[in-house]
Amino acid sequence: MPGSLPADSQRPPDTAADARTADERAADHAAIDRLTEDLLPALIAKLGATGLGELEVREGGWRVRLRRPADGQPPIRSRRPAERSTGDRAERGTDRSTERAARTLHRPLEAKTARTQSRAVATSPAVGIYRPRADLAVGARVRAGDRVGAVDILGVAQEVVAPVDGILGSSLVESGDAVEYGQEILVIEFTPNPASTNGTGG
Amino acid sequence: MFRKVLIANRGEIALRILRACRTLGVEAVVAYSEGDRESLPVGLADEAICIGPADAKRSYLSAPAVISAALVTGCDAIHPGYGFLSEDEGFAEVVAAHDLTFIGPPASVLERFASKAGTRQLLGGFGLPTIPGSEGMLRDDLHALDEAERIGYPVLVKPSAGGGGKGMRMVRTPRELESVLRVCRSEAKAAFGDDSLYLEKWLDENRHVEVQVAIDRYGHGIHLGERDCSVQRRHQKILEEAPTPAMSDAARTDLAERALKAAVAAGYQNVGTLEFLVDRDGNFYFIEINCRIQVEHPVTEVLTGVDLVAMQMRIAAGEPLGMTQADIAFRGHAIEFRINAEDPEHEFRPSAGVVERYHAPGGPGVRVDSHLFTGYEVPPYYDSLLGKLIVWGPDRPSAIARGRVALEELVIDGLVTNVSIHQALLANETFLEGKMTTNLLDRVGSAAFLAAAARA
Repeated sequence: MPGSLPADSQRPPDTAADARTADERAADHAAIDRLTEDLLPALIAKLGATGLGELEVREGGWRVRLRRPADGQPPIRSRRPAERSTGDRAERGTDRSTERAARTLHRPLEAKTARTQSRAVATSPAVGIYRPRADLAVGARVRAGDRVGAVDILGVAQEVVAPVDGILGSSLVESGDAVEYGQEILVIEFTPNPASTNGTGG
Repeated sequence: MFRKVLIANRGEIALRILRACRTLGVEAVVAYSEGDRESLPVGLADEAICIGPADAKRSYLSAPAVISAALVTGCDAIHPGYGFLSEDEGFAEVVAAHDLTFIGPPASVLERFASKAGTRQLLGGFGLPTIPGSEGMLRDDLHALDEAERIGYPVLVKPSAGGGGKGMRMVRTPRELESVLRVCRSEAKAAFGDDSLYLEKWLDENRHVEVQVAIDRYGHGIHLGERDCSVQRRHQKILEEAPTPAMSDAARTDLAERALKAAVAAGYQNVGTLEFLVDRDGNFYFIEINCRIQVEHPVTEVLTGVDLVAMQMRIAAGEPLGMTQADIAFRGHAIEFRINAEDPEHEFRPSAGVVERYHAPGGPGVRVDSHLFTGYEVPPYYDSLLGKLIVWGPDRPSAIARGRVALEELVIDGLVTNVSIHQALLANETFLEGKMTTNLLDRVGSAAFLAAAARA
């Protein structure tokens, strides 16, 4: 167990280390590289940005779980979690690559997000009138940073942006509704898939 | 009167405006930044709307955010409070363009009084003595030196825009003047986006006395007397009182009447304050006009019984004043203590944190305007004003006595405040004799001032 990492990474329990071929080992190393270089830093950034207490991702036989220290921030607030300060930092590991990655990837997200393990919420960038994107329906696939709607502030449209890759879920406000800054607007079903989390797919 | 007002401010003044709205039976919406979500005005409001992040530039100072908030909540007027957008004529104009009413002077009036030098010239033309100063803005260093020579040293270098002491320097010699001009220009440019400077004669032992006026849309005005704001630290007011101990009743009345007459003649509208410097011999010089409700307005309210915020709203709604000068009576003496989250023993360094315990004093003649409560976390993003303690007494000594008791009773645990400087003032001979000038604290330094009070 790499105790120095802020995450518990566990090998698939059915794989015995001494029974593996060189190819399997190479595949394992590649997976570990991907884990430390891409997935972990991205997850740490997300944990930091959301204020969640714990985050877990499963893929194939792998499972990665990140937890805040017991004395860390309380779990998500009941009211308007989108408002949490982005100053809540991701846990700091002692592993160099994790720290480096956390530094580079812990950029402030343009759209602050409130997230559970499987859903994220796009929030309003301004106080004004909400207009959804007509060509996007529930079930549409969106990528982090995609424009999913707009808020009109004195006739000027400000983009509502998807905070994560995922599937467009239900809308929490109607077209033409007045919304305040930071208000939750659209649910994005979060895809717990590292391939889409690291954003290299397109 | 308005149906629904957006309160585009925070802290104690947002609370003050909310109370005025309720008194008038007007609905109110508190506009707030993310940094003020847990604040008292938001908690007490029937309706509140988040207009942006804690950064004031993107919330309280954002004209589009404020106006959009007023429109989507169905307000018909915006009260800007003080600071932020309260004297921004561009904002007032855009508010009007959206069929909303700006609670304050109309944009055209704000524009007329936007330049301090221009205002001095304008009101000077209507009979107010102005402090000797440079002819217009300083063109260059040579012009500055010539003008300073003509006025006579010491002179005060002042930026045309803004206030609060930024970009201001007092100089006693041509050499000093030359060395500060560049600093003043860059400070003024950074703070107000305008580096125009002018000079003013510096009065070494001066007092700061201001006159409160209220003028309706029909040119009918009253004055509500003066306030003495001589207790300052680096041009920031700390304590205000009325009536001023510096002038006789006849002189005070003369000052107030002349101020009102000039303001009416110059076309001023709504509540406003004309500031004067008063020298040792009782000569007064007009310096500037504040086109907004002021922090220290409660001093006048407890002295006259007039609700100035309600009056401001009535005038903006187009109502006539409904009273004449004869209806205004001045009773007793009032003192306001500004309670700031500042450490007087460490250069008035601002402090932020959680108010662990809060208790507001009470009793006869005691008023507290504050947004504090036990458990409130003072955000670090805004100014350090925690509230105002206002005491009234039938005369100055009884007001001072009530002030001592109230300051002693006030509890704000968890933060460092400037309460000790007020207690020191109430033990200071010069203050007790009513002879304080604007340099009372700066002359000896606040630390020495505190130490002297502790020995007394």
